[in-house]
Amino acid sequence: MTTVSLGRFLLKRAVQGLFVVWGVVTVVFLLRFITPGDPVTFIAPLDASQELRRQIAAELGLNRPIYVQYLDYLWGLVWGDMGYSYISNTEAGARVFARLPATIELAVAATVVAVVLSIPLGVVSATRRHQPVDYGATLFSLVGISTPNFWLGIMLVLVLAVQFGFFPTSQRGIGFLPAIGQTLAQFDVGFVVGRLLELQLFDVWKYLTELPVTTWLAHITLPAITLGTYFTALITRLTRSGMLEELGEAYIRASRAKGLPESLVRYKHALRNTLAPVVTVVGLQLGTLIGGAVITEAVFAWPGLGTELIRAINLRDWPIIQGSLIVIGAGFVIVNTLVDALQAYLDPRVVAD
Amino acid sequence: MVDLDPLPFVSNETLTRIREALTPSPRTVRNLRKELRQSGLAKLGIALIVGVLLMAAFAPVLAPHNPTNQNLDENQLPPLGFDRQTTNTTSEMVNGSITIVNQTSWVNSTVEHPLGTDSLGRDMLSRTIYGARTSLIVGIVGTSIAALFGVTVGLLAGYYSGRIDDVLMRSADVMLAFPSLVLAVALVGLIGTASVRVPDPFVLAGLTPNMPETFTLPGTVIIVVGLVNWVWFARVSRSEALSVRSEEYIKAARSVGASDRHIVLRHVLPNSITPIIVLATIQVAAIILLESALAFLGFSGTTLSWGFDIAQGRQYLSTSWWIATVPGLAIVVTVVGINLLGDWLRDALDPGIEGEGGGP
Repeated sequence: MTTVSLGRFLLKRAVQGLFVVWGVVTVVFLLRFITPGDPVTFIAPLDASQELRRQIAAELGLNRPIYVQYLDYLWGLVWGDMGYSYISNTEAGARVFARLPATIELAVAATVVAVVLSIPLGVVSATRRHQPVDYGATLFSLVGISTPNFWLGIMLVLVLAVQFGFFPTSQRGIGFLPAIGQTLAQFDVGFVVGRLLELQLFDVWKYLTELPVTTWLAHITLPAITLGTYFTALITRLTRSGMLEELGEAYIRASRAKGLPESLVRYKHALRNTLAPVVTVVGLQLGTLIGGAVITEAVFAWPGLGTELIRAINLRDWPIIQGSLIVIGAGFVIVNTLVDALQAYLDPRVVAD
Repeated sequence: MVDLDPLPFVSNETLTRIREALTPSPRTVRNLRKELRQSGLAKLGIALIVGVLLMAAFAPVLAPHNPTNQNLDENQLPPLGFDRQTTNTTSEMVNGSITIVNQTSWVNSTVEHPLGTDSLGRDMLSRTIYGARTSLIVGIVGTSIAALFGVTVGLLAGYYSGRIDDVLMRSADVMLAFPSLVLAVALVGLIGTASVRVPDPFVLAGLTPNMPETFTLPGTVIIVVGLVNWVWFARVSRSEALSVRSEEYIKAARSVGASDRHIVLRHVLPNSITPIIVLATIQVAAIILLESALAFLGFSGTTLSWGFDIAQGRQYLSTSWWIATVPGLAIVVTVVGINLLGDWLRDALDPGIEGEGGGP
């Protein structure tokens, strides 16, 4: 496989991705015309005159032909302009992108939870087939994919936040980067080491729990588990079945026959081949999690893109609705394309297909 | 069905293969039954599904109370075995000074309301039984809409290939860029939650006079959950149609002058049906989860929905945990049942199905 064909493959995927993003933008734009209700009625006062309504429509450019509005919107997007919010008169793009970090943070945290739990669980489950741990993992993944995640979130809040008070019930508290920054700035190594030497462990514990990064961790734990459980269950299943399949292959028998230690056979050969498709799925899930976080954000009052989208839908704040949907859709396409590119780089057979 | 006898140019072997492909094999059906007897999990799944189906069908007969009747005197009663203590703080004037009196009293569960009552004193057991109706109707009708639309698109794309295939599959890519929950929230939120009231046959027949006279179907929700999930059916049926279209029997049918319509409906569809059935089973589960999520977010057309009850119970978490807990357990039990059946069907039929089919 030459590098030229890999480059051409990536270019082709990028162009395809661009077309899908264009499709996403078009669908989102058309949404305003296929759903009932005139945006002006939501903005204008109830007793507004026809004249005032016409004036508002003209000011927002809503009285122009659809194709003019469409081209204008597309042209604006090229320059990163999504128009102004109907309600708050701030730039829609700025609003949407201000909410994006919270959602990405949540999606990444959920993915971390899912990967850290699911892959070991799937491997153990496959290597100890028909043992209690396998049944446990299978039961967990069955219930995991069958549980509505908003309900799981509420149950976690009920037990861990309301009853025991281990975690805050909602809100984000502090962003990841500010938390890290502030912690680094205020962390007092001398104090901690000093107290440790004096064996004042409680003081050290108390000091650690009051750090900004601990606040961040406390706030994100329950939302991340809530969002991550479905994917944990999914990837556990995938790892288990992939591992079982690989362990039944001829090359595994050959490795065992030539006397390789079982741990090497399992983890170097079987696990490695199992992980390739798993990594693809994990990457793709990250893309869906950006939009999939909508309901988790609603449960925890998480100030992300989903919360913004629902608020905008209820107020018919069209520039924000369109902006959030485009960011969710385009985010998925971009992550998808990157995963494809990574896969093509790692496994040249993909390019040949 | 095409008459196979006037096909002298086809070898006997091919003819047998064609016949096998065209007639449902009794062997497969028998195998399924045999495997079902061996699989305890599949039996458990079917038992759970039948239980929920019966609950939905006979809701007016099974429910001890009218699920919409409010009784504020009996609000937030705990389920059986979970009697709870409450503290009422009142102030009293004693000898010219105000003293604060804490009165502790027990709120006892009653046999009348075995799963307790919600914040308006409505019976949780009855609401849970009626909620099964909403979930199953949305799940089954929504899946049917998705399957009808998706399979049509997929079969056409796969059978004709070329330009049609490109256009349809690119539009599927655009659909897939949005998680189904996001699309459903946007559509239901923007279109509005229209609902249809259907008279309840049991009440109409005078069998259960105390129950609600009509049942509310969340119309927008049903259509939207169908529309946002068609892509999965399109993809699966397309790949099936693609693999079937070059088979010998399709060529045979075409050479005797069968119309495209005939070939697609009578030959391509029956030979692609197995993975579609498996997918449909999983989709019912995914759509039930989707409906509950929509209802939780307030985008529903009915108040008799498990998701709606979870949303209202959430406000009383610190005092009445059961209001949010009970309907959630009902969802888990239902969806576990359907997933057990789906897993077993997938293993038993082994169609090498693609995709997992959404889910919030």
